[in-house]
Amino acid sequence: MLGVRNAGIAGWLDAQLAMPPSSSMWAWLVAKGYDAAARRLSTIGLDEMVWRKLLTAPDVLRQRTVFALTELFVVSITGLQGNWRQFSLAAYWELLEQNCFGTYRNLLEKVTLSVAMGQYLNMLGNQKENAATGRVPDENYAREVLQLFSIGLVELAADGTPRLGSDGKALESYDQATITGLARVLTGWTYDGLNNDSPEYLRKSMAHNPALHSLLEKRFLGVTIAANTAGLQSLKIALDTIANHPNVGPFLGRQLIQRLVTSNPSPAYVARVAAVFADNGSGVRGHLGAVVRAILTDPEARTVPTAATAGKLREPVLRFVQWARVFNAASAADTWFGSTLDVNRLGQSPLRSPSVFNFFRPGYVPPNTALGAQGLVVPELQITNETTVAGYANFMQSVLPNGAGDIKASYGDWLATANDAGALVARVNLLFAAGQLSEATVTTMVNAVAAIAATTDTARLNRIHAATLMCLCAPEYLVLK
Amino acid sequence: MTTATTRREFLRRTGALGITGAAAPWALNLAAIGAAAAQSATDYKALVCLFMYGGNDHANTVTPYDTTGYNAYQAIRPTLATPREQLAATALTPDVALPDGRRMALAPQLTGLKVLFDAGELGVLLNIGTLVQPTTKAQYVAKSVPLPPKLFSHNDQQSVWQASSPEGATSGWGGRVGDLFLSSNAAATFTCVSVSGNAVFMSGKVANQYQVSPSGSVRLVGAAQPLYGSQACSDALEALVTAPRTHLIENEYSRITRRSIEADAQLSAALAAQPALTTTFNTASEISRQLQMVARVIQARSALGARRQVFFVSIGGFDHHDLLLAQHPGLLTQVDDALAAFHAATVELGVAGSVTAFTASDFGRTLSSNGDGTDHGWGSHHVVIGGAVRGRRFYGTPPEVAVNGADDVGQGRLLPTQAVDQLAATLATWFGVSASDLPLVVPNIGNYTIKDLGFFA
Repeated sequence: MLGVRNAGIAGWLDAQLAMPPSSSMWAWLVAKGYDAAARRLSTIGLDEMVWRKLLTAPDVLRQRTVFALTELFVVSITGLQGNWRQFSLAAYWELLEQNCFGTYRNLLEKVTLSVAMGQYLNMLGNQKENAATGRVPDENYAREVLQLFSIGLVELAADGTPRLGSDGKALESYDQATITGLARVLTGWTYDGLNNDSPEYLRKSMAHNPALHSLLEKRFLGVTIAANTAGLQSLKIALDTIANHPNVGPFLGRQLIQRLVTSNPSPAYVARVAAVFADNGSGVRGHLGAVVRAILTDPEARTVPTAATAGKLREPVLRFVQWARVFNAASAADTWFGSTLDVNRLGQSPLRSPSVFNFFRPGYVPPNTALGAQGLVVPELQITNETTVAGYANFMQSVLPNGAGDIKASYGDWLATANDAGALVARVNLLFAAGQLSEATVTTMVNAVAAIAATTDTARLNRIHAATLMCLCAPEYLVLK
Repeated sequence: MTTATTRREFLRRTGALGITGAAAPWALNLAAIGAAAAQSATDYKALVCLFMYGGNDHANTVTPYDTTGYNAYQAIRPTLATPREQLAATALTPDVALPDGRRMALAPQLTGLKVLFDAGELGVLLNIGTLVQPTTKAQYVAKSVPLPPKLFSHNDQQSVWQASSPEGATSGWGGRVGDLFLSSNAAATFTCVSVSGNAVFMSGKVANQYQVSPSGSVRLVGAAQPLYGSQACSDALEALVTAPRTHLIENEYSRITRRSIEADAQLSAALAAQPALTTTFNTASEISRQLQMVARVIQARSALGARRQVFFVSIGGFDHHDLLLAQHPGLLTQVDDALAAFHAATVELGVAGSVTAFTASDFGRTLSSNGDGTDHGWGSHHVVIGGAVRGRRFYGTPPEVAVNGADDVGQGRLLPTQAVDQLAATLATWFGVSASDLPLVVPNIGNYTIKDLGFFA
């Protein structure tokens, strides 16, 4: 907040976009000794390395973008196999850190060839057809890279609205024949140096074995790759074709807006972001740093909305991160905390999505609501239910005084503020809710907090915890506007 | 037994759900339903959907066993085929033999289901899947009839299975069945109960899905007890989290929270009043824990005033593009354990004839192999279980065991010969939905001459 005040929004974004990635997750895992051969089947360190990053790294815009990308280009520990899975995911997170402000084409290639994604969606080990055994190429990555990571199921106009055929139905952007063709392209990929002694191979791109690559003709998305074209050349054609598809800008732009700003961006907002995706102003297509800047500086993001449907539900993980950031939480023993996936915690945990479809879908329409009746989506409501709302509140009620595992907050510089219930609630309102708690809510909170006599530090801490918990559970806070 | 109630009574009940007043505009859905005579039951019935997320490999779940069929299966997926001798103990001998000497065997892990089949409590549905209308291969190839949208896509086919339309659907057929019986239940909240999170299957046009954990409801502690020692703060927290809001996303969050607090109070009291089930569930398995909670809620049906309930449980991990042989048998073991224990619990509770469970999944898979797994398919095989089921039978036609044969659309992706819509209509009819109301539950049911698959005695 201080940085924005000093440098202005544009200056702060410049500085954040230019800031190099913070210290390496991989190196942290190694320093802990988790790379030991004897530990290759353990996943210890996975959650800890993520909390360390999200809670304390100075490159906050990069980390915020990476977290969003882990929900779009999903790889989850659930569904990974093999050695040192936390190292695979550390490598993946760092790949996203290094490429999240570069070009989409480059990010797509790095993701496609990463061991983590190779394991998760089975491009690793994908082999050409074999008539004798009936074997055909694995279609998993071919299908999901199109459906989820690039163009989506239906053809889109530049503002993200579906293009309709003469029958009034959305035009589908590919068919099974494209999946079959693309699956052939994606054959021949293996580990580069698989071994049980060191995880180093997990951060190398997959290696290509021409003997396992299909040399049949490949047709997809209107492109034909002639029979006997080499695997690497086929892959380049495929990735170029996908990255240049007109859907990519509106498809990913809209979802990035949903992750960062609002659930239901206007078509005009999507179109402005997609235009920056198409050309960052310097003739570069798919420049993601420019896309993130365009999303965050758009008038629709910068203007406090008045509509009763605006904004987005804050993700549980981000609420927890905000608690830690506001109160300068740290892990003295550098052991942090584990998964928050359980419904009695956050019901969500980084890199632990139940499937490649993330914790919630961008198209989730909440049933039996006035929102749904208007055709509006609220993705995060998909994991909001009678069990998780209580689980989250209970978890934060415990976390506020006790911390989470070794993650402990520092309330020292709040104790003086806590003497004044009004000042305390105002500070909570500013730092958690950008001052958007209503007067009525503030009054309710102040009166309740004031009922705790601030006669001891224990009582002052109770005031701080109570004010914060009320804010963290208040719908006015929970909806980011 | 069902009797029609008045529309007024129906509106009164749904009004008690808090869906009128400020939220009235979308309660206009009620008009369609109310006009169609809500149904009121005096006995008890429950439907239980067990969804296998990821797309179950049907060919290694219900496997060709006659020599010709098995050999064809083995030749198409030699590296993935279950050895025939391992199928001997679970080979099925139905009351009505399949045509042409065809035989089928359950996977070797499905020993509990085999017992239920033999006992006449389990029927097998062959080649069932999403359709808009009966569809021949010629029609599929010519694209001359409407097909389910977004075939072979996980999230969309899950949604089509559950709700007859792709992602973005807001009501499923389980929830729409629930809509018609809200007035049968003292607490409408417990009409549609999911023990595995959000599934569009369970949302009606009016009915909300109540999402409970396998351990039961979770109490929002800060609103129930002094917060950090302060009753004033607890009261304030409860007020903040439950107050209606004008912002619609905020309001939805507080609606859910209100439901959470109210339902927890009712359910935890009702469950606490029940004796422990003597039936043993494998509590190390999540799907068993889910079904154990379903059994416990059914056990508490009288305390909850419930006469018609729809339940949803699920298990993930079935998307076996890889590691089919390494992982699929373990998942089937879990499903088998859970369903067998659940059926035993319904027997223990004396409601076996009132509870029908059935399996579902995104889609079936290819018969052809990609090395150590299979890819997204379409039609699949499933089971229906319960005392009311006319078991020890197959329903539907065993598909030709082939790649690019008469019954598949490539790589052994089965073109379904029975529709999910027909399954839904059969279950809904058993549940008590009248023929005239079926289209409210299954909008496309008019496209099918056969509206009942016949698996209830």
